Amino acid sequence: MTQTDMQPSDQQDLRMLRESARTLFERAGGSGRSRKLRDAGGGWDADMIREMAEAGIFGVTLPEENGGLGMGLAAGGVIAEEVGRVIAPEPVVVTVGLSLGLLRRLCPDHAMMEQLVEGATVLAVAWQERGPNGGPAEPSCRYADGKLTGGKAWVAGAGGAGGFLVVAEGDAGPVLVLAEAGADGLSVEERRQADGSAMGELSFSGTPAGELASGGAVRAALAEAVNDATALAAAELVGLSERAFEITLDYIKTREQFDKPIGSFQVIQHRAVDLNVMCEVAQSGVREALGLMDRQTDPKARARLASRAKARAVTAAKKITRDAIQLHGAVGYTDEFEIALYLNRALVLSAWLGDDAYHRRLWFEAREEEGAAQ
Amino acid sequence: MTDWNAMSDADFRKEVRGFFEAEYPEDLRNLPHRPKFAEIEHWHRKLHAKGWVAPAWPAEYGGMGLNAAKLLIYYEEQQRWGVNRGRDMGVQMVGPLIIKFGTQEQKDYWLPRILSCEDIWCQGYSEPGAGSDLANLRTRAETDGDDFVINGQKIWTTMAHDATHIFMLVRTDQATPKKQQGISFLLAPMDQPGVEVRTITTLSGETEFCEVFFDDARTPRANLVGELNKGWTMAKALLSFERIFIGAPNLAQNALGQLESFARGRGAFEDPVFRDRFAQAALDVEDHAALYSRFADQLKRGETLGADVSMLKIWVTECFQRITELMIEAAGPDGGTVGPLQVGNVNVDVLASFYKARPTTIYGGSNEIQRNILSKAVLGLPG
Repeated sequence: MTQTDMQPSDQQDLRMLRESARTLFERAGGSGRSRKLRDAGGGWDADMIREMAEAGIFGVTLPEENGGLGMGLAAGGVIAEEVGRVIAPEPVVVTVGLSLGLLRRLCPDHAMMEQLVEGATVLAVAWQERGPNGGPAEPSCRYADGKLTGGKAWVAGAGGAGGFLVVAEGDAGPVLVLAEAGADGLSVEERRQADGSAMGELSFSGTPAGELASGGAVRAALAEAVNDATALAAAELVGLSERAFEITLDYIKTREQFDKPIGSFQVIQHRAVDLNVMCEVAQSGVREALGLMDRQTDPKARARLASRAKARAVTAAKKITRDAIQLHGAVGYTDEFEIALYLNRALVLSAWLGDDAYHRRLWFEAREEEGAAQ
Repeated sequence: MTDWNAMSDADFRKEVRGFFEAEYPEDLRNLPHRPKFAEIEHWHRKLHAKGWVAPAWPAEYGGMGLNAAKLLIYYEEQQRWGVNRGRDMGVQMVGPLIIKFGTQEQKDYWLPRILSCEDIWCQGYSEPGAGSDLANLRTRAETDGDDFVINGQKIWTTMAHDATHIFMLVRTDQATPKKQQGISFLLAPMDQPGVEVRTITTLSGETEFCEVFFDDARTPRANLVGELNKGWTMAKALLSFERIFIGAPNLAQNALGQLESFARGRGAFEDPVFRDRFAQAALDVEDHAALYSRFADQLKRGETLGADVSMLKIWVTECFQRITELMIEAAGPDGGTVGPLQVGNVNVDVLASFYKARPTTIYGGSNEIQRNILSKAVLGLPG
């Protein structure tokens, strides 16, 4: 697909959505607001979540029959890019991609859907587990007789969540259950991340939870929700990279050494161009991948597109934020300068849901499988 | 006359594809070298008979009159089927120059001869002291009665040894405050005592580039195109549309296809390091194609491309080089072997691809020059 295949009216809608999201975040204080929240302990702002909900942000990708705007992942990507530009700590991708992604596929009539879209609460999604060597492992967290036992790791947004959507092993295959924050036998260890946020490590000992869905559909819905979230995280990194580049470009235009702006030196100029090109390639590649995911129903093909997006976005964000520090010189190494926050956020978003090397591997394997099937 | 622009994109693509697939000689597909005219004359005759030699020219001059969207489709199909561009300097450069700046007499005389390939053109821009700094050119033309007399030297003149005419930038005023001034566009015949052509052997052993020496060579004053001393501005005006094609994805895409079949045959994919590097290259090509579409869409909407289009060339040529370097790695101990290497039932000329990729970052404005342009015109960096 090229962007031409999109109707001009769709393009117009996306432009308006981008403008309104940008205005919302800028009025709220841009990246300065994100710094304040980090300094206050690394949480997010529940009022901001409600404001975002009022602007329709959590419902953009949801089908209209589920109370959404039906604008697809392409629109979700627009929102995620704007979140990335101001490194907002609110768990937008968690809500739009993971929790709503699971609920709308498994129990679209559940009352929680409306609450999430209205910004009344946030649900974190617990689906990964940590093995004895510290890396990801096969699931062993059990759900039986209405109770959870075991643990979950890398739960983004665990800190301020009103509850947890947990994917566990039931008596007859996988189940999706809802456990409330503060439930009996639930402990949440918050592991501090580079950007000040926390990644939750959950352990359950007989924690009460209500079953929402079970069977093979849970596995399938989880895979799709993870695809969506992966692609949206890629879009968030694209927005982050763009803004990090803009900040750096402004800096090299104004910082003077040897009586000249350092941006007048050719070596600096060429490095800046390379970052700009990297950024533009990432923006085009990721937007195209998200647009294609909207038209694609085959989960494997969607997974491959999501991997393409995340691989590209992480490659670009790593290069851009790291070179941005170098181009800032010594002040780039301080916490005081804005650019540091972008590097730290990029580290977290890159690792979450798989980095570039991981997604290149998935992408290649999917491509091989497709080739073998033909 | 057919109004191609009135067709739907899909119908037009089908028409072009159908013609190439049915008529283009199989043995000329994806030629690894630049052919002399005699080698592709047969195909040129077919194209000429169909009226398809000059897709971008207005119909009144014998072109197809394609708009940007249709033109892009034409070139995409040409690349897809591995159709050689032929000796197209006349069509790509001289024709547009004359159509835009030439007199009625020049149009009547030269344009039909370009279409029929009665005249075959080469481009005389670069000189030993004027490469990236093209405005530094020294070859001079002085008036003598009804003629210009030309003295100096051109270099990197592609296929000059198989051309009948040269279009060239020459200095017609030695005493201008800026070196971009005092440059004019001249057309000149090659077959005369004052013109000597020597081929340059490249590091791959090819001889498609030449040096051209002018020693009191003559051309009629009527062969000045446009205003005297205004050649630089005209040359820049000619470049605007071509800049997207130099950044088109096809070279890298074709090389990636070759790399894949070669690497598969050689078992290189068993190595996880190679797999990752292949995946990187393949994703670099895919995401470049997405960026290319963005610029192509701009053209299709009738917008003019900005200086930012240069980023396509930077990315794709460097990507093309990495792919051909991976091919050499996959060849292992055969990495220095000249000629096709057989793997299963495919032949891959690893070195030919490698060599072909090297000059892409040098020609058409070296990638360093492109970075200079982007840094000033797009990023607004000072100095």
